[in-house]
Amino acid sequence: MKRLLLLLAFAGVVALMAWGFNQAIFVAPTEATMGDVQRIFYYHVPNAMLSFLFFAISFVASILFLAWKNSAPERAQAADAWALASAEVGVVFCSVVLITGPLWARPVWGIWWTWDARLTTTLILWLIYVSYLLLRRFAEGAQMQTLAAVLSIFGALDVPIVYMANRWWRTQHPAPVFGGGPDSGIKDPTMLAAFGWNVLAWAAWGLMLLAFRVHVERRQQRIRHHQTVAALAGK
Amino acid sequence: MSGMNDNSGSQNSSSKNSSSKKSSLKNSRSLRIVVAVVVVLGTIGYLAYTGQASAKSYYVTIPEMQKMGAKAYSSNLRVEGFVKPETIQQDGPNVRFVLSEYESHNPKAQQNPRQITVDYRGSEPPPDTFKNDAQALAIGTWGQDGVFHATQLQAKCASKYAPAQGAATSGAKVATNEAPVVAHGNRTN
Repeated sequence: MKRLLLLLAFAGVVALMAWGFNQAIFVAPTEATMGDVQRIFYYHVPNAMLSFLFFAISFVASILFLAWKNSAPERAQAADAWALASAEVGVVFCSVVLITGPLWARPVWGIWWTWDARLTTTLILWLIYVSYLLLRRFAEGAQMQTLAAVLSIFGALDVPIVYMANRWWRTQHPAPVFGGGPDSGIKDPTMLAAFGWNVLAWAAWGLMLLAFRVHVERRQQRIRHHQTVAALAGK
Repeated sequence: MSGMNDNSGSQNSSSKNSSSKKSSLKNSRSLRIVVAVVVVLGTIGYLAYTGQASAKSYYVTIPEMQKMGAKAYSSNLRVEGFVKPETIQQDGPNVRFVLSEYESHNPKAQQNPRQITVDYRGSEPPPDTFKNDAQALAIGTWGQDGVFHATQLQAKCASKYAPAQGAATSGAKVATNEAPVVAHGNRTN
C-alpha cells in the first residue's frame, strides 16, 4: 500500500514535469525580443527560486542541529539529515541555474559569463555549498556535523545578497522580473501560466528528492549508530 | 537559573566552584559566537554599504562618462546606453552606431539626449539582440576624436517578456517553425 502510494506520487511528479515542459516549450508564445531562447526562463528562474528555498531549509535545519546538539541529540540528528539533504538538493538546483544562465546569456548578451554582482554572488553561493558537501564527504563524526552546520548557516547568508544583487548594484543580469519596475514583468497570461506550472513542477520534484534523501540519510544514521554500538560492545 | 544558583549555594563549596567555572566557560563561548556573528554580519553590511556607494562599478552611463573628464580618455570603460534607431552601419563583424542616453520612445529622448558614436571592431559580430533601441554595453576606450572605440559589445536585455507579434497565445506551433520573430519598437517605456 505504502509502495503504491509512493509510486503514485512519483508518477504524479513526473506527469507534472511533463506538463510543465509542454507549457514552456510548446504552449507559451515566442518572446518578442529574444525569440525562442527566452524559454530558458521557465527553467532558469524557477530553479533559482527553489535553490533559495532549499538553502533556506538547510539554514534552519543547521540552526536546529546546533540548538539541539546537546539537549536533544536524537532530534539534532534528524535536523542534521534535513540540513544535508536540502543542501544537496539546493546544489542540484543551483547547478541548473549556473548551466542555464550562460546558455541563455551567450545568444542574448553576446557573452557566456561576466563578473557582475549577480553572477559572482551566485557562483560563490554554489561554491560554499559544494564545499559543505565536500566537508561532509571527507570528514566524519560529531565535530564534522557542527562545522558543517556553521558552514551551512554562513552559506545561507549569501542567499539574500544574491537576491538583492541586481537591486543594489548595476549588473549585466536583468532587473528582477517580478517587482522590478515598469520595464519588467510578464505581459502575457500564457507565459505567466507556463512559469507557474514550472515552479510547481520543479518544487514537487525537489521536495520529493528531499523527502527520499532525508529518509535514506536517517537510515544511514541508524546503521552507523548500530555499528558504533556493536564496536563498543566488542563484537 | 537563579533557582539553580540557590541550590548550589546550599551545597559544598567545591561543586559551587566548578559550576561557576562551567558557566564562565559557557559565557566566554557564547561571547566568541557573538563576536563571530558580529564580524560576519559586519563584513556583509560593510560590503553592502560600500557596494551601494560604488554601485556604478559594473558600467557607467553616457552622462557619467562625459563628467569623468580626462580620466575618461585613459581608462577602459563599459558604457551603457540605447542603440539609436537606424544608425547601425555593419561591415562584417564591425559595427558603427550611435549610443543614446535614452530609448527613442522615452519622452526625454526628444530633449537633446546625450549620445556618442561607437566604433566597434571585434572578432565576432554583436549578438542578435543588438538592434534598434536595444540597451547595450560597449566596452573599450573613449578616443580624443570623440568616438568610443569598442572591442566588445554586450546587449543588456529587459526583464519584460511579451509575445512576439503574431505569436500571441495562439501558440508557438507557428512560431517554432519560423525564425525567431523580431518585433521592433514594441517596448514602451
